[in-house]
Amino acid sequence: MKRFESRLYLGIVAMVAVLTFGIGAIAAEKELAIGVSDALTGPGATYGLPQSNAVQLAVEEINAKGGVKVGKDSYKLRVISYDDKANPTEGTNAVRKLIDRDGVKYILGFCCSGPTSAVASFIGREDVVMLVGNAAERAITAQGNPNLFRTRPPADYTGSAAGTFVAQRGAKKLAVVGSLDVSFYRQYIEAFEREFEKGGGKIIAKESYSATDRDMTPQLTKVRALNPDALLVTGYVEPSSFVYRQAFDLGMKMPRYGFTSGSEEMFLKVATSEQMEGIWDLRPTELTVEALGPVGKAFLANYTKKFNIPPAPSAPYAYDQVYVLKHALENAGTVDDTKKVAAEIRKLAVPPEAVMKYIPIDKKMFDENGQAYTSNGAFQWKNNKWTYVSDLPSDPMIYSKFLRSLRK
Amino acid sequence: MGGAMIIEVAQQIFNGIVIGSVYVLIALGLTVIFGIFGIAHFAHGSVAMFGGYLTFYLTQRFGLSLFPGMAIAMPIGALLGILIERLAYRPVRDDPHINAFIIALGLTMLIEGADLLLFGADQVVIPSSYRSVINIAGLAMVELRIYVVLTTCALIAAMTVLLSSTRTGKAVRAVAQNRSAAILMGVDVEWVSMVVFAISSALGIAAGALIGALFAVAPGVGEGLVVKGFAVLILGGLGSIPGAIVGGIVLGVSETLAAGFISSAYKDGIAFLVMILVLLFRPEGLLGKR
Amino acid sequence: MTKSNIAIAVGACVLGIVLLALPSILTVPYFLHLTILSLILVIVAQGQNLVQGYTGYVSIAQGGFMGIGAYCSALLSVKSGLPVWLSLPLAPIVCSILALAVGYPTLRVKGHYFAIVTLAYNMVIFIVLLNFTSLTGGEAGIPNIPCMENLRLPWGEISFTTRTGYYYLVLVVAAAVTIFCALVVHSRIGRVMIAIRQNEALAEAVGVATWRFKLFSFVASASLAGLAGALYAHFTRFINPTPFGVDQSLNAILAVILGGSGTLAGPVVGAFTVIFLPEYLRIAETYRLIAYGLILVLTTIFMPRGIVRIASQIARWRPKVSTRQ
Repeated sequence: MKRFESRLYLGIVAMVAVLTFGIGAIAAEKELAIGVSDALTGPGATYGLPQSNAVQLAVEEINAKGGVKVGKDSYKLRVISYDDKANPTEGTNAVRKLIDRDGVKYILGFCCSGPTSAVASFIGREDVVMLVGNAAERAITAQGNPNLFRTRPPADYTGSAAGTFVAQRGAKKLAVVGSLDVSFYRQYIEAFEREFEKGGGKIIAKESYSATDRDMTPQLTKVRALNPDALLVTGYVEPSSFVYRQAFDLGMKMPRYGFTSGSEEMFLKVATSEQMEGIWDLRPTELTVEALGPVGKAFLANYTKKFNIPPAPSAPYAYDQVYVLKHALENAGTVDDTKKVAAEIRKLAVPPEAVMKYIPIDKKMFDENGQAYTSNGAFQWKNNKWTYVSDLPSDPMIYSKFLRSLRK
Repeated sequence: MGGAMIIEVAQQIFNGIVIGSVYVLIALGLTVIFGIFGIAHFAHGSVAMFGGYLTFYLTQRFGLSLFPGMAIAMPIGALLGILIERLAYRPVRDDPHINAFIIALGLTMLIEGADLLLFGADQVVIPSSYRSVINIAGLAMVELRIYVVLTTCALIAAMTVLLSSTRTGKAVRAVAQNRSAAILMGVDVEWVSMVVFAISSALGIAAGALIGALFAVAPGVGEGLVVKGFAVLILGGLGSIPGAIVGGIVLGVSETLAAGFISSAYKDGIAFLVMILVLLFRPEGLLGKR
Repeated sequence: MTKSNIAIAVGACVLGIVLLALPSILTVPYFLHLTILSLILVIVAQGQNLVQGYTGYVSIAQGGFMGIGAYCSALLSVKSGLPVWLSLPLAPIVCSILALAVGYPTLRVKGHYFAIVTLAYNMVIFIVLLNFTSLTGGEAGIPNIPCMENLRLPWGEISFTTRTGYYYLVLVVAAAVTIFCALVVHSRIGRVMIAIRQNEALAEAVGVATWRFKLFSFVASASLAGLAGALYAHFTRFINPTPFGVDQSLNAILAVILGGSGTLAGPVVGAFTVIFLPEYLRIAETYRLIAYGLILVLTTIFMPRGIVRIASQIARWRPKVSTRQ
């Protein structure tokens, strides 16, 4: 009996010891909840779902390497993700839930300008840091919120570079068919027109279609009769793919330029490769294997393996957000003081894990508006793929000052 | 310059006839139901979308091409129509009309929700191989578009024969003219109800399949289609089959001409404007009886 | 005072106390956010109830009128610098004028025609809001909408920029709207509206100028929707066309049907249900549409008078007491 009791006693001591050390070890490993607000269903999902997936991928990578090291503690990241359905009411609700109910201080994602603008209009009053991705509306970073940062450049920054490029290629009479009801596409076209006219060209028509339109033959017929020597298509990928298909059917084979940011799959659902052959996309230097370095290639491979589908062009904007946050938290040495973390983001150089090719402003990733700038590229559809051809002439310094001047 | 203008107008008119054909199919489905039951079958748009998704599924799963797929989807759609009539509309047949309308709204959500569950939120495009273009002096006519118009004509012809020459068709017309008299004459009204919903849904399925091949089916498209369908009904006269045919083409061509020569931004608004104007100034429609 | 009357009075008092103390009771501020949205929907639903539940005309334009009210107040306060306390009441006034102009010819058509035309109105309003970018900003919307200016009262200043302050504001407005609807419904106007719903031909045959009452209920519902829209705009401080489409109109209809059309408590219950249910069900959007559709269909077939009626029927049920000893 005595032996049994002493063994029992020893066993209990051993268990307690293990538990104490175990709990001690676990205690040093904490959890940080971060939020994602993106369009997971509905028309924005082609942009939002890849972003949300990319965040998951980045978080898994970071956690596998031990998490975020803040001071003496290691934080594993946990993602709480809500669907904003590209709708500003849902977006506001989603962010309110993250802040009020889930106690989250770092919110990522934001693929679509509607809900993002809604959230941006009150986020300055909240104790959070907001990282915006694919949403291209200029006003989002023009407002000067100290806690808001965006990895994707505003549409008009790319537009002016595109205008110069197309003028250089000799187009003189250009017709625009675009989602003119969406302001960032309008901003792209305005900037494009300014530079295009400087290069000696003229825009002879501007026809409109909405995100839900699928029959653009009337607009294209009208444009065809004006005999343009080039066409510019700006709109979401789902309707724009129909524009390309119908233009080809109407016999319009002049140089066609676009700002639609869709992956090959999205276009091939609607148009044949023959219909797409030779079409340009003038956009931030996004995902194509030639344009990326080894980091980008690794991202492409890992994402495709995990999700069984290649990433859409919007995905890296969110992937990079996670690494920006990681470095800022580590530099700030705190997970609670959002002002400090925001200040660190402002000072941050481009993280080595970033997939997109950012052009630093004063050696930093974000300018005084909280805006990052990628290079802009000319991509052309050749043989079923978007092929990177060349950079578009862009100047982030000039644009950054222009953006600052818009602040009221 | 005159020649180019003629080509442009001709092209727009052709485009308009193509989209108008789809409107005709939708409107026919709506008008037969209104003529017999006096209810606005608002869920018809979702039924059409279901037809598009179903045809897509059949083409993908069984390797069928567009028209065989559509031919199989149509009877399935007819069955769906019969189910809808029995389970959803019949219980509220004797209630105030508003109840039937609410049912229609609920059905729309149900069917759209089912589509979302089964097929996802992304747009669905039915692949078809009719891609060649016939180009006559600048007037470009895609093969598929010509087939859309021909299919619509064929379906209209089939329906006309059904209604004018068969016994069932005569029974349907009898009920449409005077329900009580038809009952007194021994017409099986329950049978007629089923037949009408079957025809309506089959036509809706066809419309959805054609839209899916020409453009795409996606959440929200059905709603816009059915409202335009009602615009056609109001234009052509509620319950009038010739009215639906004429009205559909007129609406389609007006849309494309307006988009081509006035403004493309408000293209969808044309249908609503037309509807509102007709209702205010000639509520019985262009071809309806006063 | 009968037993059931006392019960209702006590219940109302308890409810009143809960409502007044709500901000202190709720530990999670998010629910206060939802409550404010529910109260705004209550205002729309009461209006919808007037035209649909009492008069029997289903109007699918409420979302559009909300939009007009919202943009009206937002544009006046942002672009013209009008104080919000002035721009807010202008919203329902503008909507009334529009509804008057549009309603008179529209109400000549009945039943289904009417519903479809109002649907067309909503779609036209939505298209205009989306495309008239020079005025409305299109899809990018109107950001930075100001809130109401602080109210200086004898015992202190009330700020409406906080959720608590805004809650009390919306609570007062929703209560006032409900009282207004109660007054209408219990007056001669209300009786005529019910008569129109039950048998319009008969009412006309008896010599009632039904068009006046139909117009009144249509205009009332439109202006209430406009008021709700303006309150929404100054709460979220950002609007774009998206919340004012046909879906919002369907929400209002759902609220009235679920809660109980033709009752005063119905729209309240229905509005809260419509806003809170998705939060509790927390199911994906895919199932939500099916659930809503099923609820609408089943409710209309089996429970056409809504939750409130069923509840009051249950409340009034007394077990039969056997008289035999």
